Amino acid sequence: MTGTLLVNNLAGLMIVTSMMVIAARKPTVSAGLYALQSLVLVGIFLSLASLFDAHELYMWSISSFITKVVLVPLIMYRAFRKMADPNADGGVISTALLMMIAAAIVLVSYFATAPVALPMLADLKPVLAVSLGHFLIGLLCIVSQRNILKQVFGYCLMENGAHLTLALLAYKAPELVEIGIATDAIFAVVIMALMARRIYRTMNTLDVQKLISLKG
Amino acid sequence: MDTFMLFLILLAIPLLTALVAFTCRWVGASRPVLTAVHTIGSTLLLLMSLYGVWAVYQQGELLAGHNWLHLDSLSSLFLAILGVIGFITGIYSIGYMNHELEEGEVSLKSLGTYYGFFHLFLFTMLLVITSNNLILMWAAIEATTLSSAFLVGLYGQQSSLEAAWKYIIICTVGVAFGLYGTVLVYANAANVMPNPGDAIFWSEVLKHANLLDSSLMHLAFIFILIGFGTKTGLFPMHAWLPDAHSEAPSPTSALLSAVLLNCALLVIIRYAILISAAIGPEFPQRLLLVFGLLSVAVAAFLILVQRDMKRLLAYSSVENMGLIAVALGIGGPLGIFAAMLHTLNHSLGKTLLFCGSGNVLLKYGTRDMNAVKGLLRVAPLSGALLAGGALALGGMPPFNLFLSEFMTVTAGIRGGYLWLVIVLLVLLTIVLAGLVRMIVMSVLGKQPDNVSKGELGWLTTAPLAVLMVLMVLMGTHIPQPVQQLLKQATTIVLNGDQAGIDELHALELPGAATEDSTTAAATSSHSAAQEMYRD
Amino acid sequence: METIALATMLLPFIGALLIALSPQRYAKVLCTAFALLATLGMGWLALSYLGSGKTDVTMPLYSFGHTQIFGFVIDRVSTLIGFAVVSLGFLISLYSCGYLTALNREHPHDGSNRYYALLLIFIGAMAGLTLSSTILGQLLFFEITGGCSWGLIGYYQSPKSLRSALKALIVTHIASVGLYLAAAWLFARTGTFELTAIAQLTDADKLVVFGGILFAAWGKSAQLPLHMWLPDAMEAPTPVSAYLHAASMVKVGVYIFARAIMSSDSVPHEIGVVGVVMATITMVYGFLMYLPQKDMKRLLAYSTIAQLSYIFLALSMSTFNSKMAFDAGVAYIFNHAYAKSLFFLVAGALSYACGTRMLPKLRGMLKCTPLLGIGFCVAAMAIAGVPPFNGFFSKFPLFAAGFSLTGEHWWLMPLLIVALIESVASFAWLLMWFGRTVPGEPSPELASAQPVPLSMKLVLLVLIVMSLVSSVIAANWLN
Repeated sequence: MTGTLLVNNLAGLMIVTSMMVIAARKPTVSAGLYALQSLVLVGIFLSLASLFDAHELYMWSISSFITKVVLVPLIMYRAFRKMADPNADGGVISTALLMMIAAAIVLVSYFATAPVALPMLADLKPVLAVSLGHFLIGLLCIVSQRNILKQVFGYCLMENGAHLTLALLAYKAPELVEIGIATDAIFAVVIMALMARRIYRTMNTLDVQKLISLKG
Repeated sequence: MDTFMLFLILLAIPLLTALVAFTCRWVGASRPVLTAVHTIGSTLLLLMSLYGVWAVYQQGELLAGHNWLHLDSLSSLFLAILGVIGFITGIYSIGYMNHELEEGEVSLKSLGTYYGFFHLFLFTMLLVITSNNLILMWAAIEATTLSSAFLVGLYGQQSSLEAAWKYIIICTVGVAFGLYGTVLVYANAANVMPNPGDAIFWSEVLKHANLLDSSLMHLAFIFILIGFGTKTGLFPMHAWLPDAHSEAPSPTSALLSAVLLNCALLVIIRYAILISAAIGPEFPQRLLLVFGLLSVAVAAFLILVQRDMKRLLAYSSVENMGLIAVALGIGGPLGIFAAMLHTLNHSLGKTLLFCGSGNVLLKYGTRDMNAVKGLLRVAPLSGALLAGGALALGGMPPFNLFLSEFMTVTAGIRGGYLWLVIVLLVLLTIVLAGLVRMIVMSVLGKQPDNVSKGELGWLTTAPLAVLMVLMVLMGTHIPQPVQQLLKQATTIVLNGDQAGIDELHALELPGAATEDSTTAAATSSHSAAQEMYRD
Repeated sequence: METIALATMLLPFIGALLIALSPQRYAKVLCTAFALLATLGMGWLALSYLGSGKTDVTMPLYSFGHTQIFGFVIDRVSTLIGFAVVSLGFLISLYSCGYLTALNREHPHDGSNRYYALLLIFIGAMAGLTLSSTILGQLLFFEITGGCSWGLIGYYQSPKSLRSALKALIVTHIASVGLYLAAAWLFARTGTFELTAIAQLTDADKLVVFGGILFAAWGKSAQLPLHMWLPDAMEAPTPVSAYLHAASMVKVGVYIFARAIMSSDSVPHEIGVVGVVMATITMVYGFLMYLPQKDMKRLLAYSTIAQLSYIFLALSMSTFNSKMAFDAGVAYIFNHAYAKSLFFLVAGALSYACGTRMLPKLRGMLKCTPLLGIGFCVAAMAIAGVPPFNGFFSKFPLFAAGFSLTGEHWWLMPLLIVALIESVASFAWLLMWFGRTVPGEPSPELASAQPVPLSMKLVLLVLIVMSLVSSVIAANWLN
C-alpha cells in the first residue's frame, strides 16, 4: 500500500504547487513553479506506472517531462520575460480567501467523485478527487487573476488536472492520445502567448480589468 | 473513389490552400494571386464536400483510417453546411476584403494571413466533423479556437484584440471542460470494453454504451455540455460570442456563427447519443432543455437592447442555438428533425445577415444602428435582402426558419410541454421585435449625407441573393435530397429507437423507405441497451 | 379548378416579384393588373363552384408523407369571403394609383415599388388564407399578412408610423401564439393539419384548439384585450387602412374562427360563452371610444372594432347550433368589408382633396364634392344598419338568430339588448357627424378642394353600389 500512499501524497503536493503558481506575483516565477508542478505530475505518473505495472505510463512520463517540465515553461518564460505590468499583479481576491475556496473545491470534488464505482480506484479515490479539484482550481486561477498571463497558467493547471484524470482512469491509453493532448496544449500556450504579446504591444497593459471596451 | 482517398482529399484541400496562402503571404504575392488561390480552394472544398455528402447518401456510413475518420448522415449534414457556407462566405470574402484593402483597413500581408487562416479554420472544422476519435474531436474543437482567434483579431485594434483574447481564454477554458468530459467517457469505456484500444472511437463506444458507469456518465455529460456548450454559445457560457462575432471581419462572423457553432453542437449531439444510450435520454434532454431555454430567454432580451448591429446578430445566434438545444431536449423524431432543420436554416439565415451587416459596415464604416440609417435608399438591393433576412430570422413565413420553429413547437406540444412552448413563443415574439427594430433603425429611414449611393459590387451582393433564394426554397419546398439527409440524420440521433423511427417513417415519402430501413437495421442491431432510448 | 385556385393564390406573389425587379413607373400598372387577374381567378373559381351545383371540394396540394401540409377548400364561405378580399384588393390598388401621387394634399408622394409589391403580397396571402384547408396554411398566411401589414403601416417611415407598425406586428404576433398552439395541438392529437380533423377531437382538446384560435382571432380582429394596435395603425396610407383595417387583415381573425366552427360538428359551449361576452364588452368599449374622436380615420378604427364584435357575437352564438347566426356572421364579414372600405376611401378622398380628415374642419361635402358626400352618407347608413343598405341585412338576421336562441340560453337576452342599444347609439352618433359634415355651407378646406382623380371616383362608385347590393349576393350565395 505504500504505492498508493505515495500517489496520494504526491497528489496533495500538486494542489500545494498549484496554489503557489496562483499566488506567485511574477509570471516568470509562476513559470518556474509550473515546471515544478509538472515534475510532481511526472512523479505521479511514474508511481502509478509501477503500481499498475503499466509500461504505457512510463512512456507518458517521458513525453510529459519533455513537454510540461521543459518545453511549456521554457516557452512561457521566454515569452513572458519581456512583458511586465506591475499594476496587473495580484488577484481580485486575497490569497487567504483563495486558499479557502481551493479547499472548498477539493472537498466538493471529493463528494462529486464519491459515487464513482470502479474497482481499481478503491484506494485512489483521493487522487481522483484531487484531479477534478485541480481542474477546478485552474478555473479559479483564471477568474481570480488580473494579469492575463496568469490566466494562461490557469489553463495549464486545468490541463494538468485533466491529464491526471486520464492517467488514473485510462492508463492503458495508447501513447498517441497523450501526445495529442500535450501537443494541443503546447499550441494553445503558444497562441495565447502570441496574443498576449499583441495586446501588450497595442495597449501596453496586461490587466484584464482594462480590457473592458466591449460589453452588453 | 476509395473511402480513405475521399477523406484525404477532403481534408487536404483546405489545409493545402491554407499553406499555399501562407506561402504567398511569405513571398509577397500580389492580390490577384491570393484571390485566385482562395477562390480555387473554396470551390474545390464545396465540390468535395458535396461529393462526400453524396457518397454517404449512396453508401451509408463511411469509416476510414483505422476508424479515425468517420462520416455518417448526421455529420454529412454538417459537412454540407460547411461546404455551402464556406463557399458563400469565401466568395463574399473576396469582395469584402478587396474593399477593406482599398480603404487601407488591412494590408496585403494581412490579406494573406486572412486567407490562410480562413482555410485553416475550415480545415479544423472539417476535422471536427469527420473525426471518429473522441480525443481528436476535442483537439479539433480546440484547434478551431486557435485558428479563428487570429481572424477575430485581424483588424488589430484595441477592441478586436480584446475580443480575441476573451474568445481564446473563455473557449480554451470551456473546451478544457469538454476535455475533462471526454477523458471521463474515454477512460470509463477503456475500462469496460473488451478491447480497450477501441474505446477512443465514438462508433465503437456506442456499441458498448450499455456497459458504461451511470454516475460517471452523468458527470461526463455535465462537463461535455458546459465545455462544448461554451463553444456552441449556450447561456451562461456565451460571453465570448457577442465580442468575437462583432469584432471579426463580417465573413468570419458568418463562418463563426453558421458553421463553428454547429460543429460544437455536433460534438454535443454525438455525446448526447452516446450518453443517452448509456443512462437513458431523460438526463441529457433535461439539461439541454434548461440550457436551451435559458439561452433563448436571455438572448431575446439582449437582442432588444443592442445598438451594435453585429452584436445583435450574435445574440440572435445564442438564441437560435438555444432553440436547437430546446428542440433536441424535447426529443422524439419530430423534435430532433426540427433541430436538424433549424441548424441548416439558421446557418443560411445568419450567413445572409452577417454578410449583409458586412455591406453596412463597408458602406457606413460603423455598426452603430444609431448612425446607420436608410440602407434601403443607399443600397436598395442590400437593404431589401437584409430586411428580408431579418424577417426570416424572426420566423416569418414563407422563409425557412418559420418551418423549423413551427416544427419545434409541434414537437413540444406532442411531448406535453405546453407551458414551455408558450414561453418559447412569447420569447420568439420578443426576438422578432428586436430584429424588426434593427430593420427600422438601419434599413429604413433617411440616408445620411456623407454616404454615397450605390451597391458595392456583385461580389458582395450576389452571395446574399443566393442565400435568399435558398431560404425561400427551404421555406416553401424542401428539396427531396435535403429531406432525405435530414431524416437520415434524425435516424442517427434517434439511435435505434424503433418507435421513434417508425414515427419518422410516418412522415416518410414514398420511395425513400428503403434507404432508411437499411440505416435503421444497422443501428438497431447495435445493442440491447438502446431500447432504453425512448423518444 | 386546382390550377385556377393555385394561380389565384400565386399570381399576386409573382406580380410582387416582378414589381420588385421593374422600374417604379410600372409598379402601379403591374399591381393593378395582377390584382385584377387574381380577382378574375377568384371569380372563375366561384362560378365553377356555382356551376358544379355548389358541391364542396377539398383539394390536398402539398403533403409531407401522409401529413397534409397545404390544400384548398372550395365551399360557399371560402369563395364568398375570398372573392370579397381579393376584389377589394383590386379596387384598392386601383384607388392607390390615384391616391399615391404627388397631387395628394395630405401626403404628396408617388407610390414606390415597395408599396405595390407589399400590397400584392397581401392580396395573395389573403387569397391563400381564405382558400386554405389546413390550419398550417392558415398560420402561414396569418403570419405573412402580419409581416406585410408591418411594412404597409410603416410605409411613410415617420417615427410614429414605424412605432405603430411595430405595435401591430408584435400584438398580432403574440396573438398568433394561439394559432401556433392550436395547430401544434391539432397535429399532436390527430396527426394531421387538416381543419376537418377538429371534428375528431375530444371536448377537452377542442377547448384548447378553439381557445387558441379564438385568441389568435381576437388579436387579428382587434378585439379586447388585443385591440390596441388598430387605432394606432391609422398612420398607414389611407388605402392601406381601407384594405387592412376594413376588408382583409381584421377579417383574418373572424374568418379563421368561422372556418374552425364550420369544420367542427360541435363546439364547446365555454368557447361560445367567452366569445359572446367578450364581443359584447368590446362592442361597448368600441362605442365609448367613438365619442372623443375627431380624426375620421380613428373614428372608423373604433367603429371597425365595434363592428367586428358583432361578427364575433354572431359566430359565437352559432356555436349553440344556430346556422342562422353563422350565416349572419359570414354575411356580415362580406357586407362590412365593402361598406367600411367605402368609408375609409371616402376619408382618403377627403384628405386627398382637402389635405385634412379632421371631422370638425369638414363641412358642406354635398355641395363641393357630391360624390364624397353621397359616399359618406351611404357608408354611414350601411355601417349603422339602416335599410336598404347592406348593414341592415347582416344585423337583422343576427338579432333574429340571437333572440330565437334566448329561449334556450336566457343569459343572451341582456347581452343582445346591449348590442341593440349600441346599434342605435352608433347610428345616432354617425348621424350627428353626418349632419355636421355633409350638408351646409362649405368650410374653407372643402371650398378649396381639388378634384378627385377618375380612378378613385370609379372605385367609390363601385363600392357605393356594392353597399347596396352586397347583402343580396351574400344571402343568395350562402343559401
